[in-house]
Amino acid sequence: MTTATLATPNQAKPAKQKVILCEGNEAAALGVALARPDMVAVYPITPQSSLVEHVAKLIADGRMDADIVDAEGEHSVLSVLQGAALAGARTYTATCGPGLAFMFEPYFRTSGMRLPIVMSIVTRDGITPQSVWGGHQDAMTVREVGWVQVYCETVQEVLDTTIMAFKIAEHHDVMLPVNVCLDGNYLSYGTSRVELPDQAEVDAFMGVKDVNWHVALDPLRPMAVDPLTGGSGGKGPSTFVRYRKGQCRGMQNSLRVIEEVHEEWAQRFGRRFAPLVEEYRMDGADYAIMTLGSMTGAAKDAIDEARDAGKRVGLIKIKTFSPFPVEALLKSLAKVQALGVVDRSVGFRWNCGPMYQETMGVLYRLGRHVPSMSFIGGLAGADITVGHFHRVIEATEKLPSSPAPSEPVWLNEKD
Amino acid sequence: MGRSYNTIAFDAAKCDGCGDCMTACATVKTGSTDKSRSRIQIVGDESDGFELALCRQCGDPKCVTVCPAAALTKNFDSGVIEWNASKCVDCLLCTVGCAYAGIALDEGVGHVAKCDMCYASPDGAPACVPACPHDALTYITTSRIYNEVGDWEDLFAPGLAGCQGCNTELLMRHTLRRVGPETVLATPPGCVPGMGSVGFNGTTGTKVPVFHPLLTNTAAMLAGIKRQYKRVGREVNALAIAGDGGASDVGFQSLSGAAERNEQILFMVVDNEGYMNTGMQRSSCTPYGAWTSTTPIGKGSGGMPSQGKTQDAKNLPLIMVNHRCEYVATASTAYMQDLYDKLDKAIQASKRGFAYLHVYSPCTTGWRFPTDQNMEVARKAVETNFVMLWEYNPKDGLEFTRPVDDPLPVTEYLKAMGRFRHLSPDQISHIQGKVVENLAFVKQMAHRQSA
Repeated sequence: MTTATLATPNQAKPAKQKVILCEGNEAAALGVALARPDMVAVYPITPQSSLVEHVAKLIADGRMDADIVDAEGEHSVLSVLQGAALAGARTYTATCGPGLAFMFEPYFRTSGMRLPIVMSIVTRDGITPQSVWGGHQDAMTVREVGWVQVYCETVQEVLDTTIMAFKIAEHHDVMLPVNVCLDGNYLSYGTSRVELPDQAEVDAFMGVKDVNWHVALDPLRPMAVDPLTGGSGGKGPSTFVRYRKGQCRGMQNSLRVIEEVHEEWAQRFGRRFAPLVEEYRMDGADYAIMTLGSMTGAAKDAIDEARDAGKRVGLIKIKTFSPFPVEALLKSLAKVQALGVVDRSVGFRWNCGPMYQETMGVLYRLGRHVPSMSFIGGLAGADITVGHFHRVIEATEKLPSSPAPSEPVWLNEKD
Repeated sequence: MGRSYNTIAFDAAKCDGCGDCMTACATVKTGSTDKSRSRIQIVGDESDGFELALCRQCGDPKCVTVCPAAALTKNFDSGVIEWNASKCVDCLLCTVGCAYAGIALDEGVGHVAKCDMCYASPDGAPACVPACPHDALTYITTSRIYNEVGDWEDLFAPGLAGCQGCNTELLMRHTLRRVGPETVLATPPGCVPGMGSVGFNGTTGTKVPVFHPLLTNTAAMLAGIKRQYKRVGREVNALAIAGDGGASDVGFQSLSGAAERNEQILFMVVDNEGYMNTGMQRSSCTPYGAWTSTTPIGKGSGGMPSQGKTQDAKNLPLIMVNHRCEYVATASTAYMQDLYDKLDKAIQASKRGFAYLHVYSPCTTGWRFPTDQNMEVARKAVETNFVMLWEYNPKDGLEFTRPVDDPLPVTEYLKAMGRFRHLSPDQISHIQGKVVENLAFVKQMAHRQSA
């Protein structure tokens, strides 16, 4: 199990928690309700739809006190939330795939305005080829836009991380929007046992809402929000740099804050998730495979079997993908002689998986050569099975003695 | 600020010298029908044209200055220069001092007499104006706007950087001071922020909270703002001053969505019929035949010359009517009284739901006319029925607020600016045909919806 292998033992007294059975989309909706946003804006899209349906029902049933805006598209969904956040609201939405693409214009701007909006991405592959199924292509495509992006492995982690996301986003040292990524199909519809935190406990965890102290549209403290800046003259260049540097600082600060918030969560609720990078059976591992999201469950089973068969292999899972947890990952990579990275999306420019591409930059900082290779699987809803991971393990194991392929390995190519 | 006063305006082109105004005045003031005793005098003849001899109720009156007996005084409540018979010494110096022949000897009584605007009459309006059978005289009452709002705070800073002769700045200042300080103002990319309303590098041109939405999401962002203030129980106006391009083209989806949800927003579109801030490109509100920088004039190919925009303008305000908004109206900066009435209604409507105000705003730079002709061009657009001034609400339907029953030919409007200079006779007849068709369409709508 995930929690059992982490370095810090669970010392918390578990609070009273209701146990329910639900799918990932419902878990996300329940997490949202517990975080008490003021405003939710929604537009349906597969495989996100049941998430916003659950949110709408929670509000309709009086179990959640929020204003809900059924907007006419994702572009307006995020725009409504920007306005609400500037007026002081805690805000939430969810989308994926084509919806995220349509939302891109305000999406880019959200991080620039430092608005702590939380948005689930129920990840879906990019079209075209036409598809409505899961994959990380949507979230990966917008990884360079200044949002914090965390990926969940389990339905419970979806619920817990959704609540934590608000606290991370609204931390004064961060003030950035956060995407909670849950794998379309596998987590969105995967049903599992979930412990539901107590509302009063969550309220105490969340603290006081304060989302527009830095920028506001409020007649009580009038200001011009986002006046024109930049250009080559006057204060333009330095002003623009100041804003951009601030964004970068907020991103880097979030690495610390994500760790702190996960620690506090563990203390209060007794569930401990690796905040940035998780190591699984890395003690004595000569080589490792890297995973992201729900695929990690099957990968861990494969690692267990490989370990039982005497292979010295471990697993490194990324939870926080943006900002990329360079220092944390360096510590894990320092332990291995070879690395296989499994992506659920495609990096067209480098002809490899995006996470592999990012990891190569970290490997360079290691100061020694670690042979590595890219695996791509699980596109458009395809399953990555324990069998696939055994192939990954075997290929990675051979890396130190054989040249790494220049092409990625497409795990589902012959399925 | 000082006060402004109503005035009698004279249109010489409409006057045929019939003298009915003089008869009316003499009747009211002297009890006789002797035109020579009227305080308004029409002079001249048909060949040289008619002129008006009438007291202008000057702000700096020479008659008052030259009077040795203090018999003439300016009444700052009514604006009228009053004559006091008990003080007058009949020296007639005032008749020499006046450049307008506004005060003259009334031989019937042996004293001077002058117009007092009939301000003491029961309706407070001059008797001469309604007597004119040709509408050559009009009683201009827009001073009300100045007197009512002149002292209200101008919520834009001085020194906004509009093009010379642009009346959008006028419109913005009037609108925001009317809507008031409890407002969040959205000015999507275009001329309005281009003037510096949101600002540049740390300075701003607006005294209320102001922001650049994206060109695409003005209505959506305002909806979020308004809803959050409603949620916390605060009365805050959500106001957009947007261009036609952002509203009718790329921003239309969020506009339509917000209207359908009946968000409590006042959305004002300043229609200068193109993307004027970015260099005068075509929008869907650009009229047929107009030159823009993306519908330029050229010889074309295959014998098909390029002669400006080839499609008619999208009628955005009518589309908004079909959203059954709380209030929809068209307005023109040449008719401020009309605009103000509509602004008042739109503000009230925006407290219940979506209010949409479409203001036709000529662009000196992009439409190519002299910078002192903006009001004239705006007026000609209405007088030719090229644009129509009307208002709509779901209860009363659509009604004309300034019907033009005897419109000028559309060429009177087209020839006022350079962007139509190239038009062929066929194009002009297409435009005239569309004016007639549009008028008939809106009239039908007015008839049907109010029935």
